[in-house]
Amino acid sequence: MDSLHAIGFYVSAALAAIGGLGLAFVRHHERRGLALGLLGLGLAGAYASLSAGFAALIALLCYAGCALLIARPDYRTVEQAVSTVWRQLGAVAAAVLFAALAYAAYRGDFVHATFYGGVFGSNSLARLMFAHDALATEAVAGFVLVALIGAAFAWRRERPRDHTEGRP
Amino acid sequence: MSVSLVSVMFVAAGLIALGAFIAAWKRQLTAALTGLPVMFAGAGIAFAGVARFSAAVSGPPLIGQEMAVLLAIVALAAVALGVGLAGRESSR
Repeated sequence: MDSLHAIGFYVSAALAAIGGLGLAFVRHHERRGLALGLLGLGLAGAYASLSAGFAALIALLCYAGCALLIARPDYRTVEQAVSTVWRQLGAVAAAVLFAALAYAAYRGDFVHATFYGGVFGSNSLARLMFAHDALATEAVAGFVLVALIGAAFAWRRERPRDHTEGRP
Repeated sequence: MSVSLVSVMFVAAGLIALGAFIAAWKRQLTAALTGLPVMFAGAGIAFAGVARFSAAVSGPPLIGQEMAVLLAIVALAAVALGVGLAGRESSR
């Protein structure tokens, strides 16, 4: 990997980290949507510098969709009934998780292999997804279908009564 | 300046832990839900890094990229479902 790709990877990782920190500490949902979009941009850049151009394109589209869902005008939310102690314990657990994963990455003895795929790789990925791992792809497609049907049912609003009352 | 699998794994670990922190720290359900795509982004970077630097010679080398694609799609579906459910709960 040459220096240009390395700089691209680190800049993209920094963008993704800034987006993630924005998600954690920004208050308004429009800004959270912007932060999620920034995270998607950084993720796509990181994928592109790791020679995964097709994954970068899909990630950019999916995270843009996530950002639009979060930043939409009729945003509603529910307040969770979790005490401060449990939230602080969760934050400490996240820090411990980071320490454990970083230690595993630092101490890990990874195999190094030469990459011989292309920059975009859509043909090879399509062959892999629809021939070699078709069952996994269909499982994810089923999950997406169920999730979208569930979201559509959940978004349905009851018709206001004044529209139905008074009719013969 | 170069990128190795260890640095990719550091970035992935940071994003996964940051997503877990968001999911644990946020009071609002929809805000906590945004931790899920962050964790999936970290996992996707780890998969793409393995596909780039340490792909098995015997197996398909792009299986990590395939997992990254599927994770991005699952993240979108999960956020759509969670936002829809939160909207339904708040309207009651």
